Amino acid sequence: MDTSNPALFVNAELLRMHVGRRVRTVIQVLRSDSGGSVIGNSTDGQQLVIKGHPPGPLSTFVEVIGIADSNQSIRADIWNNFGDVLDTASYNVVCQLANGDYKHLFI
Amino acid sequence: MSETKLTKDAIAILSGGDAAAESDIRPVLQVADIRLVKTQNQTTTERYRILLSDGSFTQQGMLATQQNDLVRSEKLQKGSIVKLTQFVCNFIQNRMIVIIVNLDVLVEKCDPIGEPKPYPTKNDWSTSSTARQATPGQPVNQPASGGINPSSIGSGSAPHVPPSGEDQSASSSSHGCSFPSSKDSRSYNTANASPKYPKTEYGSGVLRAHVKNPPQLSYHQPPHQTLANRGLIAPRIIPIAALNPFQGGWTIKARVTSKGDLRRYTNTKGDGKVFSFDLLDSDGGEIKATCFNVVADKFHPQIELGRVYMISNGSVQRAKENFNHLPNEREIFLNSFSTVQPCFEDDKSIPHQQFHFLPISDIENLARDRNVDIIGIVSSISPSSSIMRKNGTETQKRTLQLKDMSGRSVELTLWGNFCNAEGQTLQKMLDSGLFPVLAVKSGRVNDFNGKSVGTTFNSQFFIEPDFPEAQRLKTWFDGEGKSTPAISISRGTSMVNVRKTVSQIKDEKLGTLDKPDWITVSATLTYIKVDNFCYTACPIMIGDRQCNKKVTENGDGKWRCEKCDGIVDKCDYRYILQMQIQDHTGTTWVTAFQESGEEIMGISAKDLCTLKHDEQDDVKFAELLRSVLFTKFLFKLKVKEEIFNDEARVKSTVVKAEKVNLQTQSRYLLDSMAKFKDEDLGTLPPPKSEISFQHLGRTLGNLCPSLMSGPSAYGNSNVTPGIYGMARYQRVG
Repeated sequence: MDTSNPALFVNAELLRMHVGRRVRTVIQVLRSDSGGSVIGNSTDGQQLVIKGHPPGPLSTFVEVIGIADSNQSIRADIWNNFGDVLDTASYNVVCQLANGDYKHLFI
Repeated sequence: MSETKLTKDAIAILSGGDAAAESDIRPVLQVADIRLVKTQNQTTTERYRILLSDGSFTQQGMLATQQNDLVRSEKLQKGSIVKLTQFVCNFIQNRMIVIIVNLDVLVEKCDPIGEPKPYPTKNDWSTSSTARQATPGQPVNQPASGGINPSSIGSGSAPHVPPSGEDQSASSSSHGCSFPSSKDSRSYNTANASPKYPKTEYGSGVLRAHVKNPPQLSYHQPPHQTLANRGLIAPRIIPIAALNPFQGGWTIKARVTSKGDLRRYTNTKGDGKVFSFDLLDSDGGEIKATCFNVVADKFHPQIELGRVYMISNGSVQRAKENFNHLPNEREIFLNSFSTVQPCFEDDKSIPHQQFHFLPISDIENLARDRNVDIIGIVSSISPSSSIMRKNGTETQKRTLQLKDMSGRSVELTLWGNFCNAEGQTLQKMLDSGLFPVLAVKSGRVNDFNGKSVGTTFNSQFFIEPDFPEAQRLKTWFDGEGKSTPAISISRGTSMVNVRKTVSQIKDEKLGTLDKPDWITVSATLTYIKVDNFCYTACPIMIGDRQCNKKVTENGDGKWRCEKCDGIVDKCDYRYILQMQIQDHTGTTWVTAFQESGEEIMGISAKDLCTLKHDEQDDVKFAELLRSVLFTKFLFKLKVKEEIFNDEARVKSTVVKAEKVNLQTQSRYLLDSMAKFKDEDLGTLPPPKSEISFQHLGRTLGNLCPSLMSGPSAYGNSNVTPGIYGMARYQRVG
């Protein structure tokens, strides 16, 4: 298992703090642009742009892992389908905890 | 100031015995003296004797115990000016005593007004003196100088004018007073040849003196009180609230609000019969009346529920707590001298029933065995079932849910006859879509599973009653009540939602106390014993449930049950699963029976049995088992220590097994983490970071259900879900 490049849990809020770094987040897919990007809602309700080509059909919730381009976009390498049901509130709290008190557990 | 003006001639009026005037006036009097009187048998009761004065004369009085605090707090003291708002004048042996039930203290401290003299009575000096000689050597004529000498109560106080011949005989037949010293109140009335005048009403001192009393049979004391005698006199009716053990010759007029059955009992003294009924008078006072044996036989047919009666000459005693369900510290015991006279015209001033309704939310704070009146909407009712009582008899039981405006609901248990009679009526109403209002009088609070209320011998049901509370309930229910979910105080929430980890069962020694512990554990099923996963059960119905006892083969293909003593062709198959469950703290064995077994396995015991034994389809069996193993459940366990051949073992039974709802589980974990941050204590033993780590990992695991279920594109199929979560995010250092 490759742990050399850990990706931080972020939501839209936290994304801006880690621009340029490897991050991961879950978005709710709103639409896919043919130009190679997917627009989705982050778990805290803001819109994000995910650049890249998804490997296959996307479910409602998708986890993307990649480098943060800007405050609102991620260049995704890995796409994971999370299914159609997700408790976004819980994920949000996890993001906050992962960046706050329990950062030492993740990075 | 008008307050300090005493009501002129009040004493004369009171002593005059003019009943009409008495009830109208509210005399303003001065307290000339107050003395504490201790009673012999009831050492805890204190009674205060008050000498009342209207400036010209003084009169004896007794203060009702409800007002004792006034004296103790010195609001009421010698010299105080008071206004009597509720009182009764009673004539005892030609003396009048004012029983003060309620009074207002107008002025606390005041100098004595006037020079009052004791009110004279036109009594026969000689007889009264000898009769009432309480203490030897105390000359009768000597008026109680100022103070009231408790020991000389019989005599010392100046003889009073017996108002009229009638009252005299009324008072004379007043040997209803009790001897405080004699416990058996009934005996006092059995016309002891000696003290004909139980002057012990006011103090122990009197009693002592009494023994020396020469029996004065003649003059004004007819040996027994006869109904004929009574009929001639207009009996003095006193409110139930004024009943006290020290005073006899009372009569109350009250309605029977509840009539008990004539019951037989056996105790150390032998067999007996008891009959009791409740009374309510126009002032709202309630008291219970009880009679035994012969008296019970006599009165039982006479007393009718709802009718008004005039009852006199019972014995008033302290009520026994476990049998008392009315708001009165005392109860009446009727005996052979008591009379019960029906009133033919109904007294409209006496209500039919009196309730003290409590909102259901208050029941939570009541101790068990308390009696309570409640009113609520019946939201559901279950069918009757048979319950075996401890003494071996069977009885019917039914439960229903009552909901009220406090937002709470409580389980009401109906026992015995209530199941069939009222229970059926309520069932019919609910079946037809109605939600009836039910008022219960004298239900008993039980704290078995949270708080619930049960019926007793004394309970009464009122379906769709006509009270204002009922109306309010209906309006509330039609408005919002129907949809508001009521929090049930029965089957207490505290019991069931206690989350524990597996290691805590052993660490905290759960189940070792008297009662079993009910806990919830979120764990994974790791092993199921395959050998004996089901047993052959007896399908014969006992009442509502199946017998379910193990049956044995009879030899000829039939099955025999020992408990029912019956033979059945086909037996039922029921689960008895021994399983191991595991969480991050440890592993333990639990047993699951039919219902929870089916929930876990997803297949009925019968089918599984057929699969294994009859079809011998081992492959399918194994597959099924494997699919069930290693699934996470939320187990509701009942943990109890049991003794097996001198060995104590803690056994856990699965009461309910639910598939874990990931969302709630995550929330729960996040909540516990939040709680962790706030306080360092927490219920989990391992140190903070480790727990948070595990929690976080599990939360993350929970968040992706699709990844957790079986082999999928991204997960590793041979890794258990919990570990999956942690492994991914583990970081060294």
